[in-house]
Amino acid sequence: MSAIRVENLTKRYGETVALDDVSFEIEEGEFVVVLGISGSGKSTLLRCINGLAAPTEGAVYVQDEPVTSHRNDVSMVFQQHNVIEGMSAYSNALTGALSRADYLESVLRFNDREDKIKALEALETVGLLDEAEQRAGRMSGGQQQRVGIARALVQESDILLADEPVASLDPGSAQTVMGYLRSAAEQRGLTAMISLHQVNLARQFGQRFIGLADGKLVFDGYGDELTLDVIDELYGGIDMEEFLSTGDDKREATQ
Amino acid sequence: MSTDADTAIEQRLEEIRLTRRVRWIMYGLLSVLFVVALYGSIRLMDFSFSYLYQQWPYFTDQIVNYVPDLEFLIEENLPLEAGITLAMGFVGTVFGIPFALALGVLGSGRVTPFPFNFIFRSIMAVSRAIPALVWFFIFIPLSGLGAITSTIAIFVSTIGNLGRLFTDELEEIKEGPIEAMETTGASKSQTVSFGMLSQVKTSFIAWTLYIFEVNVRQAVTLGLLGGGGIGVVIEVQQGMRAYDNMMAGILVVFVLIVAVEMVSQRIRSYLRDDEEADGLIALIVGFPQRMAESAVK
Ligand SMILES: Nc1ncnc2c1ncn2[C@@H]1O[C@H](COP(=O)(O)OP(=O)(O)OP(=O)(O)O)[C@@H](O)[C@H]1O
Ligand SMILES: [Mg+2]
Repeated sequence: MSAIRVENLTKRYGETVALDDVSFEIEEGEFVVVLGISGSGKSTLLRCINGLAAPTEGAVYVQDEPVTSHRNDVSMVFQQHNVIEGMSAYSNALTGALSRADYLESVLRFNDREDKIKALEALETVGLLDEAEQRAGRMSGGQQQRVGIARALVQESDILLADEPVASLDPGSAQTVMGYLRSAAEQRGLTAMISLHQVNLARQFGQRFIGLADGKLVFDGYGDELTLDVIDELYGGIDMEEFLSTGDDKREATQ
Repeated sequence: MSTDADTAIEQRLEEIRLTRRVRWIMYGLLSVLFVVALYGSIRLMDFSFSYLYQQWPYFTDQIVNYVPDLEFLIEENLPLEAGITLAMGFVGTVFGIPFALALGVLGSGRVTPFPFNFIFRSIMAVSRAIPALVWFFIFIPLSGLGAITSTIAIFVSTIGNLGRLFTDELEEIKEGPIEAMETTGASKSQTVSFGMLSQVKTSFIAWTLYIFEVNVRQAVTLGLLGGGGIGVVIEVQQGMRAYDNMMAGILVVFVLIVAVEMVSQRIRSYLRDDEEADGLIALIVGFPQRMAESAVK
């Protein structure tokens, strides 16, 4: 049974073709990075997988069931964090458990003790246990992003989607956040699908790569199959010399 | 290539210039309209500076009678009357909050789909369209000429005024947290509470305090019509031409309103400074502990 199956997925917004006949299948436990330039359809793909957007044609299956609306076994980390600024990091993490509590319980924070522990565990996973009671709106962008990840982890989904989770972070924090995502996915046996702009990070953390260009699937491969030629095709005309040198510096620095 | 770009830039500049010119003409027309309206209004009410000038000596002669009589203030226990006025504003506001919240939230297009949210908006519009003064007259047969009727009038107008502010505030919220709550598998009511209401929590509190201020002023005014509290005192003394007593009442009103506004504005600026509401609670809850700590020291 595949975790995610995308079949001939096409998504149009008026005249714009955001996704054009995309098909692929992802096995359970894979850590997939989606690559592509701005406007290539990365966000649209992730939004179709978790039911925030409906396919124009084709279909998406999660655990062999067609995706028709939001489901609590698919969690999402957003580029703009989308944490609730007026609430503490802990309360934010706890919103991941909303589907397991009824309305009054959740509003009064009378969640099960188990879920409260899970929220704190998730904050520990992302290195924010000491900041648990801090108001999310006052945290730095990187910290807010980690709160968003904690929320997704508390949801205890089987599938974790992340749309450019590190796009607004400095290189150091980007590394840290990607590290948290990767280790959380490994520890919890999640299937993860993460869109990225930074090719260096993609190569450092990704297991499998899906490349989009103009809404079309142009690459699908594992590890070393993501060659410089492929990257050149995806991003078109970037300075390879420059890229290689900075890319390798990074890799050495982190190892 | 570059000449193409140049002409494109030239064209864009020309467009910008044109729209700016149109805007200036609009401003000019609006200013003319404004001046005409002002002049017309003054003419309409026979406003005359020379008449005011003539009357001025008479007014200054009378002003000695306007010194507040503090004895009257204490004898008639005016602070208690002011307390009744405050209570009218307070109870009217508190009773109005749940209705304003329910109608305000349901009136938002983001909670109730388009044509249906107008049902709730219309209810609020009716409550607003009729001023509290008129609501007061409407409810006199129900509860007589007094404080209770004033409170009901304030309650009814709070629903529309506060509810409208809530609805407007909800139009400003960000889509992101709502989507985030949806992806956790939250129910609709959970999505509304966590994704939407938590974004506007502090501004809702701030708006409620603002409406409370308005309502206390309104309670004074309703008193002038016989609706109880300090307003009645002022009205009665004015009727008896006891201007010193009337001024004693006005002095008390002044203190009441300033005190209410000061407290409300302090709380509001505290909220604006981004203190989480939890912070406020922590402040109150932590108070005994801090007292104990300072006692031990
Ligand atoms: N809600 C929408 N309405 C209209 N057009 C949209 C909408 N969402 C996306 N598009 C269009 O679909 C195309 C793909 O957008 P998408 O956001 O998926 O790109 P992306 O790869 O995520 O880009 P970025 O890296 O800049 O986030 C773009 O041309 C975009 O304008
Ligand atoms: Mg995107």
